Amino acid sequence: MHVDYWQEIREDRLGRIGLYLILLLALLAALAPFLAPYPPEARVGAAFSPPSSRHWLGTNDVGQDIWSGLLYGARTSLVVGCGAGLLAGTISVLVGTSSALVGGFYDSLCMRVVDALLVIPPVLLAILVGAYFKPHLLTLILLLAAFLWPGGARIIRAEALSLKEKKSVAAARTFGAGSLYIMARHIVPDLGPVWLAVMIQDARRAIFMEAGLSFLGVCDPTLHSWGKMMQQALEFTYLEVWKWWLLPPGLALSLTVAALSFLSFALERILNPRLRGEREDAGH
Amino acid sequence: MLVIKELQVSFGELIVLKGINLELKKGEILAVVGESGAGKTTLGLSIMGLSPGRCAGQILFKGKDILALSEEERRLIRGKEIAMVFQNVEDALHPLYPVVDQVMEALLIHGLKDKKAAQRKAMDLLKALGLSEERTHFFPHQLSGGEKQRVLLAMALANDPEVLILDEPTASLDAITRAEIIELLKKVIREKMVLLITHDLSVAAKLAHRVAVLYGGRVVESGATQCIFTFPRHPYTRGLLRSYPNMTTVKDLQGIPGPPYKPVDGCPFHPRCTQRVELCFREVPELKSLGDRYLACHRGGIIPLLEIKALSKSFNGVRAVREVELTLYEGETLALVGESGSGKTTLALTIMGLLPPDKGEIWLEGQKVLLRDKGFYQRVQMIFQNPKSSLSHRMNVWELVKEPLDVQGWGSEEEKLERVRKVLEEVELPADDFFLRKYPHELSGGEAQRVAIARALVLNPKLLIADEATSALDASIQAKILKLLLSLQEKRGLAMLFITHDIALARKVSDRLAVMKNGSIVEEGPASEVITNPKHPYTRTLLSLAADLKEEISILPVDAQRPK
Amino acid sequence: MLIWRPNVVNYIVAFFIILTLNFFLPRLMPGDPLQAIYGDDALIAMTPELKLELIQRFALDKPLGEQFVAYLRALFRGDLGYSYYYHAPVVSVVLGYLPWTLLLSGLALVLSTLTGFILGVEAGFRRGQGLDKLLLTTLMLVNGFPDFFVGILFLLLFSVVWGLFPLGGSLTPYASLKGFDLVLDILHHLVLPLLTLVVVRCVNIFLLTRSSMVTTLGAGFILTARAKGCKDIRVRYHHAGRHSLLPVVTAAGLHLTHLITGTLFVEVVFSYPGLGTLLYNALMVRDYPVIQGVLLILTAAVLIINLMLDLLYLKLDPRINYAR
Repeated sequence: MHVDYWQEIREDRLGRIGLYLILLLALLAALAPFLAPYPPEARVGAAFSPPSSRHWLGTNDVGQDIWSGLLYGARTSLVVGCGAGLLAGTISVLVGTSSALVGGFYDSLCMRVVDALLVIPPVLLAILVGAYFKPHLLTLILLLAAFLWPGGARIIRAEALSLKEKKSVAAARTFGAGSLYIMARHIVPDLGPVWLAVMIQDARRAIFMEAGLSFLGVCDPTLHSWGKMMQQALEFTYLEVWKWWLLPPGLALSLTVAALSFLSFALERILNPRLRGEREDAGH
Repeated sequence: MLVIKELQVSFGELIVLKGINLELKKGEILAVVGESGAGKTTLGLSIMGLSPGRCAGQILFKGKDILALSEEERRLIRGKEIAMVFQNVEDALHPLYPVVDQVMEALLIHGLKDKKAAQRKAMDLLKALGLSEERTHFFPHQLSGGEKQRVLLAMALANDPEVLILDEPTASLDAITRAEIIELLKKVIREKMVLLITHDLSVAAKLAHRVAVLYGGRVVESGATQCIFTFPRHPYTRGLLRSYPNMTTVKDLQGIPGPPYKPVDGCPFHPRCTQRVELCFREVPELKSLGDRYLACHRGGIIPLLEIKALSKSFNGVRAVREVELTLYEGETLALVGESGSGKTTLALTIMGLLPPDKGEIWLEGQKVLLRDKGFYQRVQMIFQNPKSSLSHRMNVWELVKEPLDVQGWGSEEEKLERVRKVLEEVELPADDFFLRKYPHELSGGEAQRVAIARALVLNPKLLIADEATSALDASIQAKILKLLLSLQEKRGLAMLFITHDIALARKVSDRLAVMKNGSIVEEGPASEVITNPKHPYTRTLLSLAADLKEEISILPVDAQRPK
Repeated sequence: MLIWRPNVVNYIVAFFIILTLNFFLPRLMPGDPLQAIYGDDALIAMTPELKLELIQRFALDKPLGEQFVAYLRALFRGDLGYSYYYHAPVVSVVLGYLPWTLLLSGLALVLSTLTGFILGVEAGFRRGQGLDKLLLTTLMLVNGFPDFFVGILFLLLFSVVWGLFPLGGSLTPYASLKGFDLVLDILHHLVLPLLTLVVVRCVNIFLLTRSSMVTTLGAGFILTARAKGCKDIRVRYHHAGRHSLLPVVTAAGLHLTHLITGTLFVEVVFSYPGLGTLLYNALMVRDYPVIQGVLLILTAAVLIINLMLDLLYLKLDPRINYAR
């Protein structure tokens, strides 16, 4: 069966919303240096000034421009999401497919490790390691990817196992193809959609975790992050400032995560024929 | 008494059941048979009030219309007065509860308050249906298919309902378990009104008193089981029986032409029917009484194509054909079997009008044949024993096959060429120019016979008389030609009068058999009947001499009275 | 259905991974290991005698292998270290905060599971109808909201703007309430954090139950139950719901993990004096013994409950006992 996934996602209402939101966000983040009126760390105005034409979202306790901070926060979220998603997704594919193809002791060993890692809450691990390292962007991506890959590896392995049973793979084996060739030519390409779903899921969780870690003050304090903005703003709930300081990063974060949820929900419905039927029925 | 009146069930635009009228009396088992998608299960579910579709019409039970009741009132009837036994599919039983609890639930819902007593009763019931005591506490996945079917049955019987609906009660069971379940069913469903839904004709034959054949959501034929299954009158019923593998039919399996049912105007079966007329496209036939059965067909069921009435023919005072009475129905094969000199060929030639009869009449499609004009030969064609002699050696294949079209003055040369190519393909011959230019002496025996068949078919006849059409061929070629003829019969609804001396061969191709001796038909009936239970000693002799692969030869004297 | 084997080995391996991380992280950090192990406050209070004692206690002058053994030994004695910020053993610090976390997360677990399950059953039963569509869209949206942001929204709305609930804490300080009043006060403080967790955490249970209901309702045994004459509500819960519970229990471990991490964040938002707030404060002042202790206890709890859930699953699905 050949399905044009982008076409399907665009036809799914939720998927479409998610896709457009992410694209908008990516645009804002990419153009942050042009859109942001001030460098995010510069103290450019009086503390706690309300929104004005100079400061669209006002300023924080030390007089930094909140709108600029918000734009640069989007960059962090997206870079962390994409980076950790890609990295974790790649590790998942490498471990999952090799495990499925090689089998035997290697497979049991990999899956034992994966199962063990799966029962440990990744956020707790990340907090523990983060508390020592005070991670900045790159270390944060490495850290999150390190705890995110096991779930994907299980899914990819299951998918690779079912792909392995396909006749085309059997045919390739009869031509004398080796494991590497089969992995590269037959399994990985067909894994595409599942891989994509895994990565979106990982990216979603990475953004979530980055915000959480920053909110707890685990990350490097110089990292521009929505989570950190919220942590700082939370101390001033007795002032009116929460309206332009606390809500915007929270909403931006929620929208980003929701957009990715919609995307992965849509993708899941496309990938799962049973839910696919449900979607058609629901249209009646 | 359960009466279904003008029941119609629809899902949105799609009408699944239409104009269903059925009656169930106490102690009577009615089987509803048909292919999947015919609406059988929907019928069962609507009686239960569980059909997700929109129901119109009436289902009268004890004078109350089930369809008009409130959901709560229907719920109280369900499982109490009307119960349904489901097919033992993967998950017909709840996987997480012991089976005795599931049977018990049926009792508790309908008024029994005491849990202990309910459990006792459920266990007794399960035991009575053949489950051992300890297995009543098992979970469904621990039981075999037959045991699960017994549990499903116990659940339905728990409240001793008056009406029982059995939905494919033996599907997915192996043969031995199926037999056990059928035996069990026979015992427990006495004194109830039973609606048996099945696609398995053998189950219907074993259990049901009456049978209703459902096609495209309509009853096309109904009546006493024995009557319907032995002499089907609706083309669909016959198709169903022909395609059902069992031990009593002897003819090869044949399918029903065309794709399964899709909603159409007019008679639901007309797209697949080989005897349809213009009326069938427009109007839905009504289910009418024919005395022994009800039938919904504009043509009054499978039409008699050829009727031979009291036909006699003698040569020089020797009577070759004596008072022969035969009827050949549309789309069926009648084998005429007998030794050489029994008058078979004379009969064929007389039908074809190549010999004038002394006495008697021949009717074609309900009309007496007075003269044999082009119209007659367009409908009736014949294949002769020796193809080489029936094909003129001066004509090539193209001219040979086209000859009937020339004679009939049919179409232009281009149209003829197209028709000839098509019919050659139909008889699995090459249709290229090279082959069209071949002459009979360049053809093999099989090819020549195929050309002869193509010649006979090019006019689209309704009746084909095959006089020892394959006896000159090698067995392997003969087998292919016979398969070809049968598939043409399936596709076109061709009726065949198959004349042969070989009863073993006749057995494989015919629906009915007529045995001819000294110019008279001595025995006639459904092929399976004649083969397994021959009445006339001559038939028995023919059978004893029929080809088999055993060592000994056993000639039974013609007058021997005792069957072997 | 997957063949489900509770695998104790997984949990042991997982626990070992955590222990190893806990041990090696501070010791492999550049700089003074004592600072990494004991945090900044220890160094302020440091005297040469204390330093000597500490080095001895953790065998810091010995090779890593022996240090590890010493570490494990201390752990098994129930010694999680000493917090120089609180001037108390970590165990006693943690135990002081633990009850509030247990109260909050325990109630949240029960209520979110129940809410998610009931909503899921009802929505799945009415699939495609108004209620289902409403629930699905709303909860999908909520699914994108981090726990702490929902908490912040509730805090702002109910406490800051409307003043209906206290701004934080677990009870009114210095009020010295007794009996029923105390209970009421505790509940009053509990409402918002609990509501936050229930709203956010019921979503996954809801989605899982709903999609499971949708498939279950098509199963043969549902028709069998209805043909028996079961009432709608009995079909919905006794037959379909019970069956839809299986994937919920399978995913309960994950649910619990999310719930516990969620509790940490929500406690911080509401300054609720549980382990989350303790952890947050410890992170602020780099009180490493407490950070390690809290995380170790939480992970151990998650692992143990997961293991128990695996065993519970055996009871719920009779088919598994017989799976080879």
